[in-house]
Amino acid sequence: MGVDIKAYILKRLLLLIPLLLGITLLTFSLLKALPGDPVQGFVGERASPEIIESIRKEIGADKSFISQYAGYLKLLITGDFGRSYYTNRDVLTDIAMKFPNTMKLAFGAMFIAIPLGITIGYISAYRRGGFLERFMNIVSITGLSIPVFWSGIMIMLIFGLELKLFPPSGTGDIRFLVLPAVVLSIPAMATLARVTRTTVIDILGMPYINTAVAKGLPSLKISIIHVLKNAIIPIVTIIGLDFGSYLNGAVVTETIFGWDGIGRFTMEGIIKRDYPVIMGCIISGTVIFVVVNLITDVIYHYLDPRIRLHDKER
Amino acid sequence: MRNKKGSRLSPAALLFVVLLLFSCSSSNRLDGYLYYRLNTNPTTLDPALITDVSGAAIAAKLFNGLVRLKDNLEIAPDIAEKWQISKDGLRYTFFLKKGVRFSAGREVRAQDFKYSFERILSPDTKSPNSWIFDKVEGAKEFREGRADEVKGFRVINDYAFEIKLKKPFSPFLSMLTTAPAYVIPKEDVKKWGVDFSSHPSGTGPFVLKEWLPNRELILQGNKMYFDGDVSISGIIYRIIPEDLTAVTEFELGNIDVLSLPASAYSKFRDDRKWNKYIVSNSGLNTYYLGMNSSRQPFDNPSLRRAVSYAIDRTRILITFYENRGRLAIGPVPDLLRKWNIKESSRFLIYNPAKAKEIINKERLSGTKVFLYITADQDVVDLSEIIQSYLSEVGINVIIKQLEWSAYKDAVNKGEPDMFWLSWWADYPDPENFLFPLFHSSNLGPGGNRARYVNKEVDFLIEKGQYSISEKERNYFYQKAEEIIIKDAPWVFFWHRNDYVITQPWIKGYRIYPIYTMDKGTEISIER
Repeated sequence: MGVDIKAYILKRLLLLIPLLLGITLLTFSLLKALPGDPVQGFVGERASPEIIESIRKEIGADKSFISQYAGYLKLLITGDFGRSYYTNRDVLTDIAMKFPNTMKLAFGAMFIAIPLGITIGYISAYRRGGFLERFMNIVSITGLSIPVFWSGIMIMLIFGLELKLFPPSGTGDIRFLVLPAVVLSIPAMATLARVTRTTVIDILGMPYINTAVAKGLPSLKISIIHVLKNAIIPIVTIIGLDFGSYLNGAVVTETIFGWDGIGRFTMEGIIKRDYPVIMGCIISGTVIFVVVNLITDVIYHYLDPRIRLHDKER
Repeated sequence: MRNKKGSRLSPAALLFVVLLLFSCSSSNRLDGYLYYRLNTNPTTLDPALITDVSGAAIAAKLFNGLVRLKDNLEIAPDIAEKWQISKDGLRYTFFLKKGVRFSAGREVRAQDFKYSFERILSPDTKSPNSWIFDKVEGAKEFREGRADEVKGFRVINDYAFEIKLKKPFSPFLSMLTTAPAYVIPKEDVKKWGVDFSSHPSGTGPFVLKEWLPNRELILQGNKMYFDGDVSISGIIYRIIPEDLTAVTEFELGNIDVLSLPASAYSKFRDDRKWNKYIVSNSGLNTYYLGMNSSRQPFDNPSLRRAVSYAIDRTRILITFYENRGRLAIGPVPDLLRKWNIKESSRFLIYNPAKAKEIINKERLSGTKVFLYITADQDVVDLSEIIQSYLSEVGINVIIKQLEWSAYKDAVNKGEPDMFWLSWWADYPDPENFLFPLFHSSNLGPGGNRARYVNKEVDFLIEKGQYSISEKERNYFYQKAEEIIIKDAPWVFFWHRNDYVITQPWIKGYRIYPIYTMDKGTEISIER
């Protein structure tokens, strides 16, 4: 079985190559189709046409689409993401510098969202029809519907400005992480709570739960061994999806809290038409997303051995 | 029982302790450092490549040039102790101070200026600022690769440097105060190559200690600085994109000097505790509504004038803009205009009846025009005001909103009929508001985005540029400006004031009309 998993992982990773080819081609063509010339953006207000032309030449903007794309791929194969048009900094170095921050934020958000979301989901499933369920429902629906830009500003004003508990912005140690992580965790927590609730309700109606109860097992044991174990697959799916998207940066949260992550970096690249930055972020984002999904799939396998990782082959 | 209660309490207690441990707010300041806010990461700190305001403002603290601007906008010595200009206005000889050192310790010599200036013109550098030196003798040949050096840059000896121009060019000395004309050490450029921007070593009052892009820049006081003591330990520029976050950080005392965002202006102005800490200054800038004068319908000066008559700019300035500026009567900011244009300013007073009359006479009622704008909320609101004023006189304005880089591209290519832009001085000379903006050699990306072409104006601006006497120069500039006002390729809106708020413990802060004037040496922290 171990060998199978290794082969499966290898296969999935190999599939990344055509995927990346497709994604780079798509992004590259979309970028070229966008209005706006990156060169005009960074040459300032008084550049002479000759300078603009020579810069265009240097970045290859004067060549055909195909040769531009081929040139980019060639660079990419050597592990070079190119340099930002604006800052002239190596894109890969910048991504490597910002990724740990994004990862901290994603982990922080998940650290809050997972226990809270699952607990709220459990409570509302167990206390169906009661006041607690209604209350928990309100909490999760509110969490889902409040836009992050609003909750972000409110949380910053309350905990940063009024209560002075945490610094309102900046990138740094755990003190700086708390507020953005809380904000980012709200929608994930709400989704998790809702998914947990429905799954747990379904499971509670299953005959094997009745059997467990009839056997006289303690209810805590039932909820953990029988319910949680069976409910875990959809929960892991949601966690994997949210985590994967958080690892690609949370633009609004990062902007409000001045957090130096991938999201802001990507967004700035897009606004400035800084093609190497945009491409670099999208490629690394794709890889991250695929890897997180792969990890989720492998986790499925261990959580529920009935799930085969290579069903299609058989 | 007791035990159970204890165990139930402990998570809450633990959480509380953890919160206490992690919480705290303003204690993460470095002592003696001044905290500024930037809303975006500066693009580069390599003087040859700087085109943005924040980059130039930081570079001013790291580097020096031959000359710089004094408080009254006159030109004062910087690394050059004194200078002579030959009678024909062609030769500028600079005598350098001795003992001015780069942060690595080497003394600045005349050769360094030759190197730094040639680097700007070198085709390899691809500097967007080469226009600063394009009037220097031999600049063109060097740029085109026909010469190994720029003939007009001559090292007389280690402490004397001469620049020779092709033609007399009066704003030249002013241009030498800009960021691209700072001196840099050749050995560091060779060492770092394209990464020189991250390791900028200059002669300035501060040295870059660390630059974490999108996060912060840390500048440390330079003890070797040749021009006075630096009273603060250093400056930290925190990059905070969101205005509200920056205001919050300011209120918590984590930012010392904050350029007031428009959204927070009235809040601080109306607050007794704060309004005495607001510093304001008349900026050297002009905000305008440009009209594409090289094609229909705005190739007709009468229609352009009618647009000027149709918009009540005074009222917009007072109500919408909260009086945060001075009404513009022409392109040249009031602070730089040393002449009177009362006579021609009558073309600009709000007069919708006259606007209608012109439009009816020209049979242009119902003309459809496209106004291009960026996505800034301020500009969106303003464009709707303009739209409503113009619809009253029979011009249908269709607003087209574009994201900034697409907007800039479209405006540079001359796509819109009308567009909203501003121009900020690089150096304090009326020429800076005439030549790039209205001379026919600068159409599009060169600055003349209204695509205004008038041979007479070209001639007058050139005459002004080449005049050695100030009186003569101002005469030509005045004539040029009067024609421009009459031809109305722009609706002249206002010259914006700058508002900055400082913490009570900040002493000696002032806003300068040009961002490169602030060397950071006069400010101190007293807390």
